[in-house]
Amino acid sequence: MAGAKSTDPNVFILPDLGEGVHEAELIKWRVNPGDTVEEHDILAEMETDKALVEVPSPRAGTIAQLHGEEGEICHVGNPLVTYEGGGGEKAKQPRAEGAAKAAPKTETAPEEEREDAGTVVGNLSASPGVSRTEGKALATPAVRRIARDLGVDIDSIEGSGMGGRVTERDVRAVAEGGAPSSRREPEPERAPARREAPDRETEPRHTQRQVAEETSSAALAVKIAGGGVPAPAAGGSQRIPFRGTRRTIAKRLRESMDTAVHFTVMDEAEISALDGVRKQTAAASGEKVSYLPFVVSAVCRALKEFPSLNATVDDEKEEITRHAAVHIGVATDTEHGLSVPVIPDADTLGVLEVGRHITELARLTRERSIPRERLMGSTFTISNVGSYAGRFATPVINYPEVAILAVGRMREGVVADNGAIRVGKLLPLSLACDHRVVDGAEGARCLARIIELLQRPQELLTPVRG
Amino acid sequence: MPTKVIYNAKINQIQILDENGKLDEKLARGGLKDAQVLKLYEHMSICRHYDEVAFKLQRSGRMGTYPQNMGQEAIGAVALAAIRADWMVPCYRENAALFLHGLPMEKILLHWMGDERGNQIPEGVNITPISIPIGTHMLHAAGIAWALKLRKEDAVAFTFFGDGATSEGDFHEAMNFACTLKLPCVFICQNNQWAISVPRSKQTASETFAQKGLAYGAECLQIDGNDVFAVYKAAKDARARALKDGKPTLIEAYTYRLGDHTTADDARRYRDAKELEMWRLRDPLIRTRKYLEAKDLWSDDKQKTLEAKAKEIVTKVVKNAEGIEKPTNDDIFDHTFAELPEEIIRQRDTMHTHSLGQRPEQETLRASARGV
Repeated sequence: MAGAKSTDPNVFILPDLGEGVHEAELIKWRVNPGDTVEEHDILAEMETDKALVEVPSPRAGTIAQLHGEEGEICHVGNPLVTYEGGGGEKAKQPRAEGAAKAAPKTETAPEEEREDAGTVVGNLSASPGVSRTEGKALATPAVRRIARDLGVDIDSIEGSGMGGRVTERDVRAVAEGGAPSSRREPEPERAPARREAPDRETEPRHTQRQVAEETSSAALAVKIAGGGVPAPAAGGSQRIPFRGTRRTIAKRLRESMDTAVHFTVMDEAEISALDGVRKQTAAASGEKVSYLPFVVSAVCRALKEFPSLNATVDDEKEEITRHAAVHIGVATDTEHGLSVPVIPDADTLGVLEVGRHITELARLTRERSIPRERLMGSTFTISNVGSYAGRFATPVINYPEVAILAVGRMREGVVADNGAIRVGKLLPLSLACDHRVVDGAEGARCLARIIELLQRPQELLTPVRG
Repeated sequence: MPTKVIYNAKINQIQILDENGKLDEKLARGGLKDAQVLKLYEHMSICRHYDEVAFKLQRSGRMGTYPQNMGQEAIGAVALAAIRADWMVPCYRENAALFLHGLPMEKILLHWMGDERGNQIPEGVNITPISIPIGTHMLHAAGIAWALKLRKEDAVAFTFFGDGATSEGDFHEAMNFACTLKLPCVFICQNNQWAISVPRSKQTASETFAQKGLAYGAECLQIDGNDVFAVYKAAKDARARALKDGKPTLIEAYTYRLGDHTTADDARRYRDAKELEMWRLRDPLIRTRKYLEAKDLWSDDKQKTLEAKAKEIVTKVVKNAEGIEKPTNDDIFDHTFAELPEEIIRQRDTMHTHSLGQRPEQETLRASARGV
């Protein structure tokens, strides 16, 4: 049939306006909230990739709410218009709630919509979303799409193609000429930022992502960041625009999940011996020493034996880069959201030095004074999820890296040891790898090696490479 | 050997009622009576409203794709030239003819709503389901006409198709069979100038579509397809010729698609607005009304009453189509065969389980289907 129908008769869901149409740009509303409409009256003008169409009302009623702004891309299956209830229980519900109920999709939609809206808003600032029928450019749907994505008003372009058709080249030329105004979020400066970074041979060549203040990483215990202007919504809920730090985090995580093929191996390390060494080291140095520097040290050693995990992927070039040096990113929870400061060349540091780095990074991050280059270039990330709770996790890889280790909360537990039972200290470890690059057995062997190293802590005190 | 002309061809073009509603009295003789013209006008107007509503049903998510008939309603006159026993083998822009020949109006809506029952034609109504693939059904028409001939029934098969369909091989095969076997078959090409976005000039180098039938030995003519008198006369003459001489006719009805190809199309992207404007003036509704007004058979009051009636009828039809109880998916087996073939019985019986052979109980079913 013609597509999704709302179970709530007061909610009109945007139908497939053609054949296999998934979305349409809202060109113009032809009604306002409060208007009374008859069945078949036109509600809105919308443009699909094939046609400019009028969307009629499926019923008579009074418009309660319009979902979407002119210029917005509306998705088929999401509510377009809510009518005032004509009596019955549903009518007594708050509108927003009614709409949400009728279309559970709305809850998952924002992320998707934002992404699209982001590309379309630029388009609109150039042409304020009205009467595009006149002087309409000739172009194929594919070219229209490219124009839309590049934020170019296609109707303003003089086509060079057959019969004045606007070609892809025309669109790109305008886009590159910087002619169209665009409210698009500025692209993160990629290459330049990277060139400013310390020029090391070992520096990962991938650093496409600008691992800015809010780099993605383990999808763990991230707080909702401030910055958005909360708008009132039904039932005391708040609507927070998906912007700024939160949006960047979301995009990075989305990119990782969409690209890397995640698998996670989990095990516990029995670290009673390590605990002893840790205390000795602390006593000898007079510094506070946590487990984390030992884990970093063990990871650095293991990565020497498993270079495929100390790597980054360049998906565009279809290339894997194995890194000679180990730069450890430490996923850190801050009040502004997730941050991943980096310990460069962690494999050249002893446990105490690693500990000092971590303390320093924690301070800088907290004060938001961390230099940008300290947030870039990691080749492997460790997330210390155990500071709060939780044993095992399925961490999200800090893409384009290929592996991440989540360290759980150390606990005392019963250990079977050579036929005897004793109480040991257990550190849960979860290693997630990109299965495209790392085989399952390899990941498991690497985790086994990390555990083995943690159980022989004396060896961890010195650097891996001098 | 001297050169001599061994074949001469000409194609007649017939227009009886012109764009201004002026009638060629001589040609009109023996044709449509005023009562029939009145009936046709009312019917075409109801079809026009039906078309507009169907379009909106799609746009508001209540129906799937729909091809508008707007501008081609005069084809309905074919049904007046037909008798009940005649067959209609349509494509999808002949609503006016089908409804007049007895097809319940909700059937077309049901079809486009994806309901199999839309293709279930009531017993006694000689219409085949509308055919979406281009040209495939002309062969069915030839086959039906052959059956009519073998059964010595006093009936013909009318088949409808567009200009684009004449570029399909099936058209030529059907014409060849019908003419060679002298079948009572009437081929009606609704040349609406556009095959989706392909203009007539890119469709064929032939000067007319009508002449494509000459080589097969059909009687060929072009008529003004927006002229109900011409449509009626051509269909009536063709019918008589088919029954009397066993000679098929190819009628090119010269018309225009005022709407988009379907609801998935936007003709503004490829058609000149001026062309559309010009054709709007040739609308069959306008000229038929002018004719009736000139004869004092029509008035604004009657028009108002008609519009209200059209609205009432179509509202009811939509209500019926939308109100029908949901279909089960078993019905895909129900309406094609009079007696289900063994293979289809097996498919029906295993449809709700897994693929054949994956479940032991299916072996039993398979055996029972074989009658073992």
